Amino acid sequence: MRDAISRAGAPLIRLVNIERTYRVGTEEVHALRRVSVSVHHGEWVAIVGQSGSGKSTLMNVVGCLDTPTAGNYFLDGRDVAQMNDDELADTRNQKIGFVFQTFQLLARDTALANVELPLVYRGIGASERKRRAREALEKVGLAARMHHKPNELSGGQRQRVAIARALVGEPLLLLADEPTGNLDSTTGEEIVRLFADLHRMGHTIVLVTHAPHLAALCPRAVRLCDGQVVADGPGPRVAELRDEATTSMPLLATPIVASAGVGL
Amino acid sequence: MLRLLRETYENARLALLALAGNRMRAGLAVIGIGIGVATLIAIFGIIQGLNRSFASQLDSLGSSSLTVSRRPWVTGPTNWWKFRSRPPITFHEFEEVKRQSVLASAVAPIVSDAFDIKFADRSVANVQCTGTTEDFSVARASYPRLGRFISDSDNQLRQRVVVLGEDVSRALFDTGEAALGKAVLINRSHYRVIGVLERKGSLLGNSLDLVAIVPFETFRNDFGAKRSVSIAVASADPKALDALEDEVMSIMRRARSLGPDQEDSFTINRQEQFTKLYGQLTGTLYAVAFGVGLITLLVGGIGIMNIMLVSVRERTREIGVRRAIGARRRAIITQFLLESVAVSFVGGAAGTLVGLFIAHLVGDLTPLAAAVTGGGVALGLGFSMLVGMVFGIWPAWTAAHLDPVEALRYE
Repeated sequence: MRDAISRAGAPLIRLVNIERTYRVGTEEVHALRRVSVSVHHGEWVAIVGQSGSGKSTLMNVVGCLDTPTAGNYFLDGRDVAQMNDDELADTRNQKIGFVFQTFQLLARDTALANVELPLVYRGIGASERKRRAREALEKVGLAARMHHKPNELSGGQRQRVAIARALVGEPLLLLADEPTGNLDSTTGEEIVRLFADLHRMGHTIVLVTHAPHLAALCPRAVRLCDGQVVADGPGPRVAELRDEATTSMPLLATPIVASAGVGL
Repeated sequence: MLRLLRETYENARLALLALAGNRMRAGLAVIGIGIGVATLIAIFGIIQGLNRSFASQLDSLGSSSLTVSRRPWVTGPTNWWKFRSRPPITFHEFEEVKRQSVLASAVAPIVSDAFDIKFADRSVANVQCTGTTEDFSVARASYPRLGRFISDSDNQLRQRVVVLGEDVSRALFDTGEAALGKAVLINRSHYRVIGVLERKGSLLGNSLDLVAIVPFETFRNDFGAKRSVSIAVASADPKALDALEDEVMSIMRRARSLGPDQEDSFTINRQEQFTKLYGQLTGTLYAVAFGVGLITLLVGGIGIMNIMLVSVRERTREIGVRRAIGARRRAIITQFLLESVAVSFVGGAAGTLVGLFIAHLVGDLTPLAAAVTGGGVALGLGFSMLVGMVFGIWPAWTAAHLDPVEALRYE
């Protein structure tokens, strides 16, 4: 991680005028319009917005699961548009750790086996895999339950397993999509605290959420509305904004960076 | 390479887990493939058994001998008339072959006809009675089980002695021992039984044991001398049958004074002709039976494809997760291919056991000597895995080409 921080000069994520258009029947839906955002190593950024604001699409693009219709996305200095399917898979495997709202654990496997999975696709041997998976589970405080299957774990524990799985490959970026969405508020807070710890340890985290109180906990937040970036600044301040108000209100004090499309 | 191996191992483990998780459905697909493979194996075993018993029966004709006759043993329906006008083979021609051939180890003249044979109040109809000499024993691999074969002196003295085939001896005397020394009635003449032949079985449905062998001269004396003779010739070297055929052919052509542009007016028969005939008779049958087995396997394969497509659909989210975590398409393809191969392999193994059992049962309950060899088992397992592979490709491809975003959202 130290290494990652030392490279903080160049952004880990650089999105330049990203567009993502879907075709639904004869109509074109603009999920993302000219989105430009950069995230540096070690940052903890929330992406907030209501449902339909484009934040899931943005997450998919950042996670190399979806490719933008136009614009450039540089991840760790590499142009994602130039990658073929295998390279995208390898990039997801090595540089990104996903945490999903619905945990997305494999039901038939134990917690340990679930956490091992990214390393399987990296071709790491079984004993090394187990050792690292155990470490990752210790990191999220679940070492005691590593031989349990997902249905023997509580929601919060499942999400911890998912986070361990995201961490095990030591990715450059943790990408969490509504990680507390399926949890009660107490458990959700625990998970958020875990993210805060990970942030302190130096992990770069992008957290997608519709909940303002979560965004408020992040040092930085980016607000999306109708596929556009309408605000970018300290978490607590961006969290306060309301969508309708944002587009017309004067830009907040630095370091808010609005995308070029705003105000048109 | 290492990565590929590890992925494959992981995928094999997954495939087995998936099978264990869906026992009912996997079980049905296994049955589908199993029936196909069982059919194949059983058919294969029965065919092999048939072939083997046919081959051993053919050997009883004397695998290293040939027979000079007026007509081919096996003729097509179109040209049989051509052979009718041929001159009969004479005793003199037999003598020429016997005198001139250097490659032959035994040369015997053969005349034969079907007669009823009687003893006391018992009677056997339509016995193939052959008049020949001592050499016949070697040329046709006809050896006495009891007593002795006819000898050259029997022939010179025109003795009325007979060597009976097993079926004849059993019908008239129950046991071979009882037959020895008795006088049986063949077409109004009494013959003393001097031997009983070893059992030969049957060829293309005809018993080879419903025979009686008497001296050549006695036969001609009692049953008429104006009969066409055949000449049985045994090769000294079993591998030099072609050379022997050439030699006998030139002796016969010379004996008949055939010019270079004249066709043979005789035929040299070899047991291969029966092999060919056998092939013609059974080839189509085998092809049909094999086709049925393959179609069953095909149906099983479609069953596998079906459960694999369902499996892919059910595990869409899992596929999404794996892709998001960094599985390449190839890894997903291997995972599902291995799963379908595993299903079909289990089916193939079960089917092989059932097929072996059926073949065995057929062997026990019918005269067919069904035999399944290692080749048959390999064929069954190989085919089943091939089916799993072929019918698994499409579902696996579908799985690998799911959009990860859509797959993760799939409910």
